[in-house]
Amino acid sequence: MKRRTFTALLGAAPALALNPLRAFGAEEKPAVIRIGFPNAGTGGRPLGGGSFPHNAHHLRAIDEEFKADGIRVEWKFFPGAGPALNESLANGLVDFGFGHGDLPLIVGRSTGLKHKVLMSSGRGGDQYFVVPSASPAKALADLKGKRIATFKGTAGQLTLYRFFDKFNVNEKDYRIISLDNDSTLAALATGDIDGTVRLPFDVEARGVGRRIHEILDDWYITRPGTVWASEAFEQRYPHIVQRVVNRLVKVAYWSTQDANRERQYQLWSTSGTPYVDYKKGWERTKDLRNRMNPHLDEYYVTSITKSIEEAKKYKLIRRDVSLDGWLEPKYLQAALKEQKLEDYWPQQDGSGNFKVAGRKV
Amino acid sequence: MSVVSTDSRVFKLARTESAGRTGRWAVVAGRLALRAALGLLLPLALFLLWRHAVARQWVPEQILPGPDLVWQSIKDLWDSGELLDHLAISAKRVGWSLVIGTGAGLVLGFGMGLSRTVRAYVAPTFDVVSQFPVLGWIPILMIFVGIDEALKISAISIAVVVPVAVNAQKGIANIPRALFEVGRVYGFTGAQVVRRVVLPAAAPSLFTGVRQAVMQAWLTLVFVELLASSEGIGYLMVWGRQLAQLDLVVVGMLVIGVVGVVLDLALRLVEARLQRWRVAAF
Amino acid sequence: MSVMSNTERFNWRGLVLPAALLALWVVATSAGWVDTKLIVAPGSVARVALHTMADPLFWQGVAYSLGRDVSGFAVGAVGGIVLGTLLGVSRLADRILGPTFHTVRQISLFAWLPLLSSWLGYGELSKLVFIALSTLYPVALGTFEGVRGVTKAHAEVARVFRFSAGQTLWRLILPAASPQIATGLTLGLVYAWVATIGSEFLLANWGNGLGNIVIKGRAAFNVELIVFGMLAIGLVGVFFNKVAARLEAKALAWRGPVR
Repeated sequence: MKRRTFTALLGAAPALALNPLRAFGAEEKPAVIRIGFPNAGTGGRPLGGGSFPHNAHHLRAIDEEFKADGIRVEWKFFPGAGPALNESLANGLVDFGFGHGDLPLIVGRSTGLKHKVLMSSGRGGDQYFVVPSASPAKALADLKGKRIATFKGTAGQLTLYRFFDKFNVNEKDYRIISLDNDSTLAALATGDIDGTVRLPFDVEARGVGRRIHEILDDWYITRPGTVWASEAFEQRYPHIVQRVVNRLVKVAYWSTQDANRERQYQLWSTSGTPYVDYKKGWERTKDLRNRMNPHLDEYYVTSITKSIEEAKKYKLIRRDVSLDGWLEPKYLQAALKEQKLEDYWPQQDGSGNFKVAGRKV
Repeated sequence: MSVVSTDSRVFKLARTESAGRTGRWAVVAGRLALRAALGLLLPLALFLLWRHAVARQWVPEQILPGPDLVWQSIKDLWDSGELLDHLAISAKRVGWSLVIGTGAGLVLGFGMGLSRTVRAYVAPTFDVVSQFPVLGWIPILMIFVGIDEALKISAISIAVVVPVAVNAQKGIANIPRALFEVGRVYGFTGAQVVRRVVLPAAAPSLFTGVRQAVMQAWLTLVFVELLASSEGIGYLMVWGRQLAQLDLVVVGMLVIGVVGVVLDLALRLVEARLQRWRVAAF
Repeated sequence: MSVMSNTERFNWRGLVLPAALLALWVVATSAGWVDTKLIVAPGSVARVALHTMADPLFWQGVAYSLGRDVSGFAVGAVGGIVLGTLLGVSRLADRILGPTFHTVRQISLFAWLPLLSSWLGYGELSKLVFIALSTLYPVALGTFEGVRGVTKAHAEVARVFRFSAGQTLWRLILPAASPQIATGLTLGLVYAWVATIGSEFLLANWGNGLGNIVIKGRAAFNVELIVFGMLAIGLVGVFFNKVAARLEAKALAWRGPVR
């Protein structure tokens, strides 16, 4: 009672102060919308890249949307990644999650966090395994007993496990150290770790590391991110949620235009991740719609389900997670309908095959 | 107020004198029991509050794990042997660092304490460097020795060297000149002076130094393990946090607290023993 | 802590060691004995140092760190004196609070951080609470020992003069305990700085502060910045120590040469 009420009061006070009309039954509006990203730029700076929700931040799309209503938008970046975003939600300090990785999302739900999945924040891409440039290793198997870095609790951990799966090695044969992004780069440079999953372009350019594995266009190794709204917010302000979703879809549409590709690389590289990583990392993607796809299609559902299984298998969650009542696609459907984009994006089946192609452009 | 209670205590003692031996034992036992009960009052109240807060969901369950969950986790970790494994690793790190740090600290402290030349050359630098917080060293150490065991051991050793050296030096400085005179009268060699005069006389200071060093060692260990580790008690806490299993964090804290208490008690016991010997020796 | 007598001539020999180390550093880096990407030359550190110190943001960061430190210390010190006095003066309070106090003290401070940051986040509040906690323990302990040590003779004086409880506290107990309280405060000051930096490292949130500068250095793999940051942190620590020692001496000066 104490803390929840206190935090709720703290959140409600400005709302009450700014919206005396509330008492008279006028349409409810929050005073502030708090959007959280489960990541931060290098050094913890509040910038990010690589997805259309990040574009929404760069373009200040959401701020623009609600300026006339006098609603402020707070953008929060968490260097502690997915787990930190979970904590923030648990404390009632955030209303939307823009691009949560599957593992922390699942962990959060298993501990009782209440959110509603609104759309997918992106998918696909290629995965690489990098080792320090001086390392003689040629394959994962060569690194048995050595130190591998991953940020535990984030989607990256599951990616690493799937790497182990794919190359038929056992995770118990490795010393897995938990390091965040910046520390991993430093450790790679000094040779303090023997390998990690990471985009290789910048580290190769700098002579710090080299790739020993590439997994291209694999829809099992890569999993979609998620955009969610907290259940509390969604129940109280469904119309606000709809407007946020509408805007996001607009931004997603903008992001998939090839003409805007270069601009996105520029915006994204302000986060500290080097330009070359984005450019090279996205140049194989001819059709941007394949990676910036908001649909909650069969692929999304199957992928999340598989991740839940794995989380259970590796004892990363202690309670089961069910999808019942979790996905809430109605907002996305309404937005797509309104903007006449229902057939714009492709849809994929459980294995990632393109069931329905995107509209011809 | 101590004044009043002193009075009443004197009064009580007078009463028990006349109550006879068994009576006195009963009173002492009773008083001990009362003390224990009073001491447990606060922890008990906090525990009940904890349980209540969790049951009533005052704080979201992801942030405050319940006592049952913590207890369950302790049992699970104990049964699987993981708890002891992590503890052993952390203990090993502290152990090695204590050995290295105390050795270096003694050398430094004795050097500075016994030799004016050494003191003149080394003390000013040592004075300044010893006041650097150990934490300040860690980013540099991370670059130089990496993030593996070497980091932990070097960081903790640094934390140990300072209190040991400082207290060793102080201990020697406080030795009355007279004792050195005695050594000279008896024609002690250098080694004998150290063994029979310096060591016993400086022992209490040394002990203070070691006790402080142990505390600093634990402090630094937790910090380093929280920052960059793949096993150990601090790591257990980080792991728990990343997976929203805060009960693991609480377990980690409890283990650290228990070890701290045990170490402190053990050191006090040893110190008391040594004191008795020392008093007897003089 | 220095054993050197202040009244002697300036001790030139004390400079030999640091000078030698500096020389070694210069030679090692310029002769290429070590990997200069890792062990950077003092020249480049000096360059980065000057560059950073010319940036007003740096001083802002220092101000932030110091601000946190001082406010956390103030809260912790007051709390510590109150708690220590309570424990020392009231046998009952000591019986009830004492065991818990001493046991919780054993839990390494940094062990509190994960829980603390879960509850209070990564912002200013959790850092302040942490710093206050770090200060509270040594101050409370020092005050407790000091108050406990008030002798019966002092108590007699209080009774003879018929001091009220308040007067006894202010004019007798606290002054009598002041050496231990001063020691506690000194230790608290040192701990507070350690806690400030520690919390900036472990509760990193891209905020302002000296610790953050080091973190940014790490992120950019700018070793010179890291070295400079470390030196700055260390020097502030030394400064605090000296100030604390000075204050302690002053505070005890009123007691006069004879006890």
